[in-house]
Amino acid sequence: MNKALELGADYTEVRAQELFRTTLTIKEGHVEAARQGIENGVALRVLVNGAWGFASIGSFETKSLLEAASSACKMAKTVSSKLKNPIKLAKVTAVEDKVIVKPRKDPSEIPIEDKIKLTLAINNNVLDYDKSVKGCTIDYLDITGKNYFVNNEGTYIEQDKLYVWSRITATAKTGEIFSFSREEIGSTSGYEIFDAETPEVVGERVAKRAVEQLKAKPPKGGIFPAVIGPNVVGVFVHEAFGHLAEADLTLSGSVLLGKIGKKIASDIVTLYDDGTVKGAFGSFKYDDEGVPAQKTLLVNRGVVVGLMHSRETAQKFNMQPTGNMRAEDFRAEPIIRMRNTYMEPKDYSFEELIEDVKFGYYLKSFRGGQANLDGTFQVGIQEAYEIVNGELGEAVRNASISGNTLETLLKVDAVGKDFELWPGRCGKGQTAFVCDGGPHIRVKEVLVGGSA
Amino acid sequence: MAALKKDETLSIIENAVQLALKAGADEAEAFAYQGLTANVVIERGQISRNTRIIDNGIGVRAVINKAVGFAYTNVLESKEAIEKTVQNALKAAKASKPDKNWRGLTSKKSRASVENVYDRRVAELQSEDLVKLASSMLEAAEETDKRVFPIEGGVGASELVRAVANSNGVSCFDKGTIIECSLATIAQEGGEVTPVCFEFNAERTYKIDPEWVGREASRLAGSALKAKKFETKTTKVVFAHAAFHELLYFTLMNAVKADYVQRDQSALKGKIGEKVASEIVTVYDDGLLSGGLRTYEFDGEGVPQQKTPIIEKGVLRNFIYDNYTAKKEGRESTGNAFRAGYLSTPYVDATNFQFMPGKKSPEELIGEVDEGLIVYSLQGAHSSNPVSGEFSVVATPAWRVKDGAVVHAVGGVMLAGNIFDVLKNISGLANNERKIGQLVAPWVLVESVKAIGK
Repeated sequence: MNKALELGADYTEVRAQELFRTTLTIKEGHVEAARQGIENGVALRVLVNGAWGFASIGSFETKSLLEAASSACKMAKTVSSKLKNPIKLAKVTAVEDKVIVKPRKDPSEIPIEDKIKLTLAINNNVLDYDKSVKGCTIDYLDITGKNYFVNNEGTYIEQDKLYVWSRITATAKTGEIFSFSREEIGSTSGYEIFDAETPEVVGERVAKRAVEQLKAKPPKGGIFPAVIGPNVVGVFVHEAFGHLAEADLTLSGSVLLGKIGKKIASDIVTLYDDGTVKGAFGSFKYDDEGVPAQKTLLVNRGVVVGLMHSRETAQKFNMQPTGNMRAEDFRAEPIIRMRNTYMEPKDYSFEELIEDVKFGYYLKSFRGGQANLDGTFQVGIQEAYEIVNGELGEAVRNASISGNTLETLLKVDAVGKDFELWPGRCGKGQTAFVCDGGPHIRVKEVLVGGSA
Repeated sequence: MAALKKDETLSIIENAVQLALKAGADEAEAFAYQGLTANVVIERGQISRNTRIIDNGIGVRAVINKAVGFAYTNVLESKEAIEKTVQNALKAAKASKPDKNWRGLTSKKSRASVENVYDRRVAELQSEDLVKLASSMLEAAEETDKRVFPIEGGVGASELVRAVANSNGVSCFDKGTIIECSLATIAQEGGEVTPVCFEFNAERTYKIDPEWVGREASRLAGSALKAKKFETKTTKVVFAHAAFHELLYFTLMNAVKADYVQRDQSALKGKIGEKVASEIVTVYDDGLLSGGLRTYEFDGEGVPQQKTPIIEKGVLRNFIYDNYTAKKEGRESTGNAFRAGYLSTPYVDATNFQFMPGKKSPEELIGEVDEGLIVYSLQGAHSSNPVSGEFSVVATPAWRVKDGAVVHAVGGVMLAGNIFDVLKNISGLANNERKIGQLVAPWVLVESVKAIGK
């Protein structure tokens, strides 16, 4: 850091990580690989004459670090000659803190044999559910270790890192019909997540869906009313709205640019991105710019009131940084990422939501989703049902929904009183661990893509 | 930090293999990887960042009693770290369960020869050079259409080093370069914002054309303005390169992997020798393609890469194998073991998945469409059913084609169907073959795709 300051950097930060990772892949009960690894590295970010320089190196050697510092400064200077709008950072209070995580069950103290036993138990519960279940793949990951962050403004943070994650997929087949089902489990509290998400509970949830999907029919394509479950509401809030409210993407011209203070959704819609939910997969205390994570109100009763910010975008909008800057590891620069993103529950029961629907769809569980800056979203659905005359009907497979985010948010006409938060991983060049969720909701109409 | 040298790299991994054998492994393998990457990043209309990333490490596989363990480290300068990694690999193997299908690591084979995969000029590019390339791309975009805003993109150059050694005497070292540039744009006019448009160029040698990328990314965004709705109907669709890549990546490219087939997760299982695509479709997995983005002398297990026919004139010929899936069927690996760096154990993946081009120019291909769409990118292809091949995606950006000409942009149209029907309905291939990720393909004309709009 001092080397960079000597070379003329206006701002310098150094992140270091010492992480230990265990991963397992189980396919139909056979352990494809049990893997363990050490990843140490340093990332250095400098601001020189209003341009960023970044160097990352998988080493703690002094000589290499000094080389990286001068290389980062030189790079930033090269770029600054071409810069039209110099980058500035919003001011923040310097922090000194040590964040210690105390899990009830520390994954780094659990023998790898036990983790293999647990994943094999999930596998058995999936494969034994029904003879039409042909395949089961389980990925398991835990990360433990420490991150260090220091900058030239006096911030010094040591932060324990702890993630436990698993993805379970099942495939089923009868005749020429294939079905596919997946679930993810994720926590920052500890290995104790598997006390609630036991092999029996998870195994049945995944396998049952795959089996039921075999009997499902393709949806009709067209515009229909829909009741959307928390798992799909979550991915809709994340993909269709959340990315547009990441201030870097807002500035790039997302449809939310110029909409702050304006009404974009119906009155019953309130949305948060919250880094403070205890144990949730998207929670942490400080982000990778040393800013405390907070609960950020994005939409209040239909009106856009906030965005997710870095120090750079906060300065541009004349707002406060929100603690959303995250880097996947030492190889990557921090960028604005969501944490736990959700819709606030209101007052409808599930029965009240479906009772007025003559014909529509109940969209229960998602498989992937994606949004475009113009507000076009797509969410793939792995579990859905018809709603006929106010009652749940037959299962529907491989549906997906699309539309314009803002038009769809205005069509939300009822919000349920339940609430669920689901873990997931978000890709924006880098992978980030997140949660998203909300209650059941109803939308007056949405485009359903079907092949029938 | 400079690129790892051949001798030092091979000595590190050969030593790791010996350490594993001494510690009681029946078999052992070590893989080394180093990536040196420099990027110039464009954000919101200007070059704002310059980055350099150095990442290297080794991954060790140890086999005891047919159980496989794996460990990796990125701390190469310390003997202790490497010893600890070898011990962790053995520990993981002991904790794991024996696999009755394990038939040993790969054996030594003669080397394959490859061309146009390393260019010293790419390895030696300085940040000033990259800034120049990025500026020329940005300026070309701005000059082409004033309504267009370049939102993100950049230029990157990488030098990659790979090496494999195992206890059967395999010991090989290879290096390559990649240079790429890309630009994402939107256009704004009268309150209308277009979807993100994107153009790119990636090569192994120093022959990218950033100005073309800038112009084309800008032209696309400008012509995506004034989008209209599209009536729901079954129609002809021309898939441009990126859209076709997205469609195949989550469906066909998985269906030809031996592990998917063996595990009953491929709709192509049992169909070798059968007609699975239109007669004009011929596909190779060509690991030796000159200048291919995934061309190397050997794969992630040290097996020479090769050219494997996948579909010939519509008939399914082969699946692709790594060492494990091949030996399970008593056959030879097709050199398709891939590794995502040193952290990863090998898995089956395509090298250069080459859809052979046709003879028509892109204009002639469009000329054959009386009514339909041309689609440049898909949204939501990753939500396709990976086993059945069913997809339901948004076509964006997309344009309507009428009487052989592109007439206007269309918004909010979904495409639904099954990849295996799409393959059978391919009626035309252009001659504009390009490389994108694993795919090498031209524009493809497909009959009878269900488009859902208003």
